[in-house]
Amino acid sequence: MARHVGIVGVGQTHHARRRTDVSQAGLVREAVDRALADAKLSMDDIDTVVIATGPVLFAAVNQPEKWVVDAIGAQGKSVVRLTSGGGAGFAGALSGYYQVAGGYSERTLVVAYDKLSEGQLQYSISTLYDPFWGREFAVGIMGFSAAYWRARMDVLGHTEEAAAMVAAKNRKNAIANPYAHVKKEVSVEDVLNSKPLCWPIKLLDVPPISDGAAAIVLASEKVAHHSTGRPAWIRGMAYCCEADNAAERSLMLSEPLALASRQVYRAAGITNPRRQFDVVEVQEPYSCFELNYYESLGLCPPGQAAELVASGATQIDGDIPVNPSGGCMGANPIGAVGVIRLIEAATQVMGRNESHQIKDANLALVQSGGGWANLRGCAVLSA
Amino acid sequence: MYSAPDSYAIDLPTFHSEINLPYTLTPGRAAGTFLAEVKNQRIIASRFASGRVVAPAQDFSSIDGEEPEAFVEAPQTGTLTAFTRVDGQVIGLVRLDGCDNELVHRILADLDQLAIGQRVSAEWDLAVEQSVLAIKGFVPTPDAAVGTVRELVATEDPLGVIPYAMKLDFEHAYGPYYGRLFDEIRENGRVMGVRQPGHDTALLPPREIDDISHARTGTWKACADTGTIRACSIINMEVYGVTRKVPYVYAEIVLDGASTKMIHVIEIDDLETAKTTIKPGTRVKAVWSTGERQGRVSDIERFEVIEA
Repeated sequence: MARHVGIVGVGQTHHARRRTDVSQAGLVREAVDRALADAKLSMDDIDTVVIATGPVLFAAVNQPEKWVVDAIGAQGKSVVRLTSGGGAGFAGALSGYYQVAGGYSERTLVVAYDKLSEGQLQYSISTLYDPFWGREFAVGIMGFSAAYWRARMDVLGHTEEAAAMVAAKNRKNAIANPYAHVKKEVSVEDVLNSKPLCWPIKLLDVPPISDGAAAIVLASEKVAHHSTGRPAWIRGMAYCCEADNAAERSLMLSEPLALASRQVYRAAGITNPRRQFDVVEVQEPYSCFELNYYESLGLCPPGQAAELVASGATQIDGDIPVNPSGGCMGANPIGAVGVIRLIEAATQVMGRNESHQIKDANLALVQSGGGWANLRGCAVLSA
Repeated sequence: MYSAPDSYAIDLPTFHSEINLPYTLTPGRAAGTFLAEVKNQRIIASRFASGRVVAPAQDFSSIDGEEPEAFVEAPQTGTLTAFTRVDGQVIGLVRLDGCDNELVHRILADLDQLAIGQRVSAEWDLAVEQSVLAIKGFVPTPDAAVGTVRELVATEDPLGVIPYAMKLDFEHAYGPYYGRLFDEIRENGRVMGVRQPGHDTALLPPREIDDISHARTGTWKACADTGTIRACSIINMEVYGVTRKVPYVYAEIVLDGASTKMIHVIEIDDLETAKTTIKPGTRVKAVWSTGERQGRVSDIERFEVIEA
């Protein structure tokens, strides 16, 4: 029987387009210092460490964990380094969760980061394509994502206007988030009129490119109370994948996210996600992704995402607020984003989100993943 | 009983691929200060609260992660503690006087002139800036006096960004399925897949095992060079590494006779028209390149819309 695991300390950097004052390792150190202080712990109290980043080509340092370990004073500890594209931070947290739930660690530090100002983001992502079959025509993740959004418009009604509503909502929410670095309100019309980059994706559908790190301390029930009287308990957590170019793969709904949410909802006793969750944090690399998550997470039936966002229900004052933090639109240090979403949800159910607390939030849903649809995970956190 | 199967390596041509990437790396305060100070021919080190001195300067102690209490100037003399020769170049570890770690650098001498414990001193290359190679290397200096670590009154501001570039060359093995796929493209100008188990449609690119059923795939099948767009977007931004003139269409196309996508491009005149004329379901046809075929996907130069 797995043990209960709680998030007992959180920390993140003030994300920025470019941090020239710290190295990658220095960036990680900032987030770790904040998370340990928040959990009232020092590195001596930590049993195991998970370090998560995006692809090595993002910032040209191979095996960065060797550098990071020195910078955070984790010499001699059990260290796992994990990478899983955009979902790296979330996958790192899942690995930490397994360690504590399985009884191998009482306290695990998970730190995730990317310093995207250093490399060529879209070109680096293009190297994920098959070098024989498609890489020479790849335009990072943007060309591909835009193509399948276009296909979803016809099948699921994910219109440009619906995605623009997501972008306007999240950009507005980011203004209150002290860690976000893009803080500018835009209207739905502004988004629709912004420059097409990979149409239908337009400039304001796209989050910033960021430098940032985020860390959480996971603790067993036995020791969690040393850090806080109100941990954010992980009620369920899963991360699933699917075949990349299989015949039956439509890429309309995200099958891995539907699978992950089914597993997690069963573990957490969720039967009506729209009604039960108080707050939702999702990783939306482009605005159009959030529409898909509404459907794959069961917040609405397939084909009704546009209606859901238009209804205002996912606004910060709606009945199912999605990304009150502003999501990726405020800051997008890709490898760190999974942990940032967990931090935002955790502070909500701990009742200590200073800038955008949802009143009486007890149950939160977190989504994260990499690729267009092929790596997807979610978690349920509760007070 | 463990027995080795009767298989062996066969040497075959490979597929060459290159990844070229420019970077703007952030050295951080310590390394940034070290790199800024080489123009003054000073070697900047970190001194930690324990009294430990480390050169070049580091932001965090490799012992316990502590931050340094001060940057100091290390002497330019030291002792050789290890050396080797790589590609005719001698590389050594030098413990600078008063420091507690070893610095890796070139040793400007032949192996027969060197011994462990040998005294050495730094030689600078004034033509090099913002790099550890501004120290050209260390030269044997038998009578070098033992230097001392000195306090610094002021330092240059740390460098915020260091340009860097990486060029990676790969030789990918085709394997039997990709091997035949690209041989057929080069020799016969046709795109061949393998049948999905229980179906007549072909998987592209061909593969040994079906992704869904995990059954062995079937016989080879030539696909048409016409097909249907499954998904597409209009590329309208400059992206590093993409030289094609924008706007153009990125398309995922299912060739007639296939069940999976191939990625390609369609040229367009203007973005607004393409929004309505090129979409999922649009029929397209391959335009083969006119030169000698190379056995690559780019032997198809582009796709074009089949006018109704």
